Amino acid sequence: MIDCDVHPQIGDADELLAYIEPAQREWFASQVFFGLPGYPWAHPSSWYRQDLETRNGIPGGDAASVARELLDPSGTEIGVLNADDAITVSLMPSPYRAAAFARAHNDWIRERWLDADPRLRGGILVPAQDPSAAAAEIRRVAEDERFVHVVLVGGSERPYGEPRYLPIFEAAAECGLPVAIHSGGEGLGISAPPGGAGPVTFYIEWHTLGSACSIMAHLVSLLVHGTFERLPTLRVLLMEGGIAWLPGILWRLDTNWRGLRSEVPWLDRKPSEAAREHVRFSTQPLEHTDGEDALLFEMLEAAGAPQILCFASDYPHWDFDDPAFMLRRLPEAWREPVLHGNAEAFYGARLGLTRA
Amino acid sequence: MTDWVDVGPAAELEEAGRIVARVGGREVGVVRDPADGSVWGIRNRCPHHGGPLCLGRVREREAGVPGRYELSGRRILRCPWHGWEFDLETGRCLDEPSLRAAVYPARVADGRVTLLV
Repeated sequence: MIDCDVHPQIGDADELLAYIEPAQREWFASQVFFGLPGYPWAHPSSWYRQDLETRNGIPGGDAASVARELLDPSGTEIGVLNADDAITVSLMPSPYRAAAFARAHNDWIRERWLDADPRLRGGILVPAQDPSAAAAEIRRVAEDERFVHVVLVGGSERPYGEPRYLPIFEAAAECGLPVAIHSGGEGLGISAPPGGAGPVTFYIEWHTLGSACSIMAHLVSLLVHGTFERLPTLRVLLMEGGIAWLPGILWRLDTNWRGLRSEVPWLDRKPSEAAREHVRFSTQPLEHTDGEDALLFEMLEAAGAPQILCFASDYPHWDFDDPAFMLRRLPEAWREPVLHGNAEAFYGARLGLTRA
Repeated sequence: MTDWVDVGPAAELEEAGRIVARVGGREVGVVRDPADGSVWGIRNRCPHHGGPLCLGRVREREAGVPGRYELSGRRILRCPWHGWEFDLETGRCLDEPSLRAAVYPARVADGRVTLLV
């Protein structure tokens, strides 16, 4: 089993601060949670699986916890670490602070996590508000093959197909790395409000709309800007934005493309075809369907499932998908590709499975 | 069996850009490309939703690479309802090849427009 979405928590702030360059360390140490933008919408009780919370610590705060609580019991072969709250680094007002923090976080992941457990792989954190700095960070970190994709946050100033972000995607493609866009941060810091209708009221709204809408927007943006025509080897993984909406948004986009292609005349095939070829989706959180799973899976097949789906647990968050539960829920023919094969093909040799 | 059928005066086609007539129970039309004056016969019913295809514009289809707009050199008829684009020679919808409108040879001679149907 390959788990594309494991969230390493910063269990010891001082440990991470030691990786910040000396001239910026005091600034980061004196901020609330490293100066990362905070959430106006908070989970009413806990962001985490409460069975894993300890009195003094948060779950998933070190590699040993992840091994004990996730990898060992589920028999997970590979777990990809995607920065947790730290993915909002791209929403900090200062690109200089953001670049320093991303750099420190990547080095911290390499030494404290990847060196600690051979099953772990890393996502490269980048300061997306400064795309050239982000591209430089990708090229620096990509030299370590245990980093298997670039992580961008769902919350953004503009959708990621905008040409200003091209250096990020070019660097990723050049290094043979997919780009994972993970929901989160919508409405925080310098990002646009979540949902598209103005700031929402509740966490339940933010969690329902914010993450799904940003992922939809990035998907459509990357497709209509012709990102995959520019970069034919680029692969993108969209994470934690839900997937039941996927057939609908692709049908809608294809329909609009037929009548509006003069606006984006570089698209000479249906946008959904590029999506099938270049884009993958993490399963978590797979929508609960009130007993209509067969309908869900049939619809997803219209969008290219099971080939487009990769398993993700989202450990240790409250809305995680338990690997054993997912194994039971998926149609039998989907289990191997979704839990393993699709991710292996998506990441390729960099995953390290062939070197064993 | 096909015949050349008179569908109206050339002056009307030139002025309006199109001329529509009912032939054998079907609405057919001739559209004129304002760029070179060429004329094209096509059924006046879009295979998408049934819109009056001949009331659309004959124009050049765009092309390009990401971020750069170019002209393709290809003249098309754009349906006035949803904007889907049709090849004038084949009647094929360029972005939905499963759809095709019937096309007919058309010509202008002696001040009249005729269509082979």
